[in-house]
Amino acid sequence: MNGIKILLITGVAFIAVYFFIRLRNSLFDIILLLSLIAAAIIFIIFPETTNSLAHKLGVGRGADLVFYTSIIIFWFVILKLYARIRKLEQIITQIVRKDAIEEADKPANE
Amino acid sequence: MSAPINNNSTWIIVPAYNESTTIQKVVGDLLGYGYNIVVVDDGSNKSLAPQLKNFTSIYFIRHKVNMGQGAALQTGISFALQKGANWLITFDADGQHSSTDISTLLTPLQSGSTDIVLGSRFLTDGKHNAGPFRRLALHTGRWINFFLTGLYLSDAHNGLRAMNRMAAQKIDLKENRMAHATEILFAIKEHHLKYVEVPVTITYTDYSKSKGQSVFNSIRIFFDLVLHKLFE
Repeated sequence: MNGIKILLITGVAFIAVYFFIRLRNSLFDIILLLSLIAAAIIFIIFPETTNSLAHKLGVGRGADLVFYTSIIIFWFVILKLYARIRKLEQIITQIVRKDAIEEADKPANE
Repeated sequence: MSAPINNNSTWIIVPAYNESTTIQKVVGDLLGYGYNIVVVDDGSNKSLAPQLKNFTSIYFIRHKVNMGQGAALQTGISFALQKGANWLITFDADGQHSSTDISTLLTPLQSGSTDIVLGSRFLTDGKHNAGPFRRLALHTGRWINFFLTGLYLSDAHNGLRAMNRMAAQKIDLKENRMAHATEILFAIKEHHLKYVEVPVTITYTDYSKSKGQSVFNSIRIFFDLVLHKLFE
């Protein structure tokens, strides 16, 4: 076990704890999270496994494969966040609109 | 549907954001016609109410925070519908529209043959003084609108429109910012609203240009539209 492995595993562990505290409600989330954590730890301890997987998919190095997949995952996460932001924006708009219409008045009374 | 247009059930919706320089003149020009006027102050840094306090006949709505022109328009539309509006007109507060065009917009509605009338600066008889870059942006916008909605119009993003009550009820703007102009076209398509374009005059002043959208903002509008297509 060399330094970088310990560093990465500690990082993954912190993220895992953080997420477990936050989403305890859905079984699907827990399973997904567990498998992601397991995969991350396996790849950290045995980096060669990414190499063989990469070769099967026609990618030169394991590190490249990890890089490509993370780009796609990040895009997905960004889109999900955008969807969330839009939703929040619509809710805020509805609240502000309702409030504004209820208080509609002649300008002199404002 | 062919209730005669009387100015009493005609509502002019004026969305305004920090338009303190022009709002008095714009509202003053509109007053003479006897229409109902509602100014939607979209969370201006300083409330526009003090400037409007002498106009006792108009309504004033203020968003507590700034949310964008689309949101302000929808607030005005919802309010006017609550008040029993039969004919609704959207009119920009920066002085680029001309109050004399309103009757031109109302005429096709009056006959009952149309649900929504869109102002166009590029039709014959339409007038504008847009610079070459703005023209290019607007024409690109037309093509994007055509690509997204199948409606090929002569103008894009013209804030001067008129609609009847039925159309106003169907339109439910979710795009808070400028992409609402295309969202109205989505609604036309989805609900099979009958629409027509009429020529109007657009006068860009240095003020309206500095206040209004920059040409580069069209990229953001396009981005909003792509997201709209993805998520709505």
